Amino acid sequence: MSYALFVLRRVGRGVFTILFAVTVTFLLLRLLPGDPALAIASPNMTDETRAALLTQYGLDQPLIVQYLLYLGQMVQGNLGTSFTQSIPVVDVLMQRLPWTLLLTLSALLLTIVIGIPLGVIAASHKNRFLDRMVQVFGVTGQSLFVPSVGIVLLFVFGLNLRWFPIGGAYDDGVYGLEWYGSVLSHLVLPVLSLTLIQLGSYVLTMRATLIEALGEDYITLAKAKGVPPRTILWKHAVRNAMLPATTLIGLQLGFLVGGAVLTETVFAYPGIGRGIYEAVTQLDFPVLQGAFLLLAVTVVVANLITDLAYGFLDPRVKTA
Amino acid sequence: MTTHKTRIAIGAIAAAAALALTACAPQAPEPAASGDASSGGSSDTLTIATTTDVVNYNPLIGNSRSDYWVTNLMYPHLLSIGDDGSKSAELAVDWGYVDDTTGFYEIRDDMTWSDGEPLTAEDVAYTMNAVKQDAPAGTFYGQMANFESAEAVSDTRVEITLTQPDSSIVEEIGFWGNVVPQHVFEPAGSVAEFANDGGEDGWVSAGPYRLTSVQVGQSYTLERVENYPLVEGGTPGPASVIYRVFPDVNTEILALQSGEVDVIANSLPPAQVEQLRNTDGIEVAEVTGLGYAHMTYNMQNPDLAKTEVRRALAHAADYEAIRDVVLQGQAVSTGSSPLMPVLSKYYDDSITEYEYDPELSRQLMEDAGYTADASGMFPVSFRLIYSLQDPVTSQWAQLVKDGAAEAGITIELQGTERNTYLAMTNEGDYDIYAGNFAIMDDPVTNFALSYLPDGAINYTYVDDPALNDLILQASATFDEEEKIAIMREAAQLVHDEVYDNVMYTQNLFVAHSSDWAGFISKPSELLSIVNPISIASAYKVTE
Repeated sequence: MSYALFVLRRVGRGVFTILFAVTVTFLLLRLLPGDPALAIASPNMTDETRAALLTQYGLDQPLIVQYLLYLGQMVQGNLGTSFTQSIPVVDVLMQRLPWTLLLTLSALLLTIVIGIPLGVIAASHKNRFLDRMVQVFGVTGQSLFVPSVGIVLLFVFGLNLRWFPIGGAYDDGVYGLEWYGSVLSHLVLPVLSLTLIQLGSYVLTMRATLIEALGEDYITLAKAKGVPPRTILWKHAVRNAMLPATTLIGLQLGFLVGGAVLTETVFAYPGIGRGIYEAVTQLDFPVLQGAFLLLAVTVVVANLITDLAYGFLDPRVKTA
Repeated sequence: MTTHKTRIAIGAIAAAAALALTACAPQAPEPAASGDASSGGSSDTLTIATTTDVVNYNPLIGNSRSDYWVTNLMYPHLLSIGDDGSKSAELAVDWGYVDDTTGFYEIRDDMTWSDGEPLTAEDVAYTMNAVKQDAPAGTFYGQMANFESAEAVSDTRVEITLTQPDSSIVEEIGFWGNVVPQHVFEPAGSVAEFANDGGEDGWVSAGPYRLTSVQVGQSYTLERVENYPLVEGGTPGPASVIYRVFPDVNTEILALQSGEVDVIANSLPPAQVEQLRNTDGIEVAEVTGLGYAHMTYNMQNPDLAKTEVRRALAHAADYEAIRDVVLQGQAVSTGSSPLMPVLSKYYDDSITEYEYDPELSRQLMEDAGYTADASGMFPVSFRLIYSLQDPVTSQWAQLVKDGAAEAGITIELQGTERNTYLAMTNEGDYDIYAGNFAIMDDPVTNFALSYLPDGAINYTYVDDPALNDLILQASATFDEEEKIAIMREAAQLVHDEVYDNVMYTQNLFVAHSSDWAGFISKPSELLSIVNPISIASAYKVTE
């Protein structure tokens, strides 16, 4: 199979996945108990007001009509208007997306930078003290819960030591270079929190794949040839163990976005995760549909890039 | 080559991230207008924590607390409220009735919109007529059942025509409704759909502060206006007010303790009150509650249609324990009456609380014709719904269940997510409804909504001709003494027939930095110490 055909198939699969996600999201939201009119308006509104609201939102139309209208708008780049804010959904999402990208990509980068060396250390010291310590760290990390970690970090580094601010993405009233500094200082604790949560699985996966790689025949051959252990570890084993780790990075992006909902809530970070939380409480269907579409596209594109990178790195994948 | 490509890729990602971030960077403000320093106010900024973003800047639609707190600083109400529940002057200086179907408001003549246009009776009349016509989904429209139209008969006098006599409507519309600028809202079309997002020229308002900057998800900055006649001296104190959003209440409290915010707008969870009272640098102010927590028994259930069963349930809950343990003493009994002590003119202390007495409950169940089985349980089971987002009710619901079990009555608890709870409530899908009404400021309006057969919050589905008659009489009675007597009679009926089981009024506690003083507290969480007069009166304590 040519690389172009391989790319085409992966892109086609991605488009289908997005369409499937859009449909499921649309249906799931309609299956949710509750009524957007009740979530927005005063509970003592009259039946006439409620009916008028449902008409205004188009929720009095049959489900299939609502769905087709939504798809029709979507392909034209129109994600509708927020029920509660009366402004385009695209505007709602674009106000928040940069913050979530900054948060999740920073956490992903930190996870990789810390996770790979830790996994390598553990695997190269298999069953020794360092390995056990890293394993304890990895398992503990996997059992951490974002709000608890967040509050502890805020209490220690925000309130007691006063090293970092308590919440938000930057200080009000600062501009220019000072603003960028403020953004960085506000980023530290949420990124640390998200990294701590994700790091465990990354370290353990890296350790397991590297141990497997170290048992391969080509490693034994390299040892027999007298290749220095450091070269065997980094140039032969780690390089091959990186392939499954690359897949994990793609998968982790989805988890990171999930973790961002809680992280952004605890750290009062103005990203899309918090926007989703608020839209859920208000049953703001257009915003939720737009947000989940955006997330689906992000995860699909990340996986697509991973697939393409994988195909580029390991030509055997293209024939799969 | 690969390394080179990687560098290019990383460079591209970094550049994209920097660009995206730059799009979020706030613009440096224009230099302050001259005259600011001579205004008499301070140059201090008061930072207030709130839990949600502003959803809607149109005060005629907005329904969340954050919306209310911010838009209240921009759009005046005709009336406010005092600690005794009586309405007080705000934009209106005099109000009342010309005759049974004509009400009036006389408003101040010294208010202007932030663009320099005078605020007149035309704006008031326009707002009322537009709300009646466009029916925005807010509490304001809910008060307009008997409203027909409003007319500005002079620059300072508005008269409203009613479809039938209604002795509460003048105060209720005045209290719940904001006034918006006709010259901004009218050209925008329907007030029910107008986002009022400030556009290119910003917001036109008439409060002590003008909204100047919005960082979605982060903060809302309001700047002092030079002339606000409702505050002493005519100039608001703090130069600016910033609302910062902290969705998690624990983070909010940490931010107060660290000095990042000066006030927490929402009331504290009961468990945090004592801790913050004992924290250096923080003061906790008590705010009078204007609502109540209650249980209603769905009379469409044949068992609950029996008065004895409702009485049995009423005597099976230990109200004192609920107030002491769950609310840590931060609530007061209403005597199981919907006329709460805060409404001091109406409160009737001869109506007393249902006594916790499981044996009496058993006797009442037997009187209703039920026989307990060998384990002492009667053959009835009731499903009690509550919102899991309401931590206080979630706790006392368990005590209610335990108390009922003592009396041989089975209660199944069904805590649900809030939207599900609202939908179940709306559909009458419950045996027992447990919840809170936040503001019940006017007894007649409250009774009409709660106990008339077509009342929007008649969760008991009561339709008692005697009670209906009393409520309608009170609504059409303009003599206050007579009205109070009728309402007391109605409250006694609600109490005796257990048409509503009012359990307590929760007083609220709000925390602020001891660096600030001068706040003026008003009843209810919506007003508390973040009402416009209070914020405009606040000042920083000098050491």
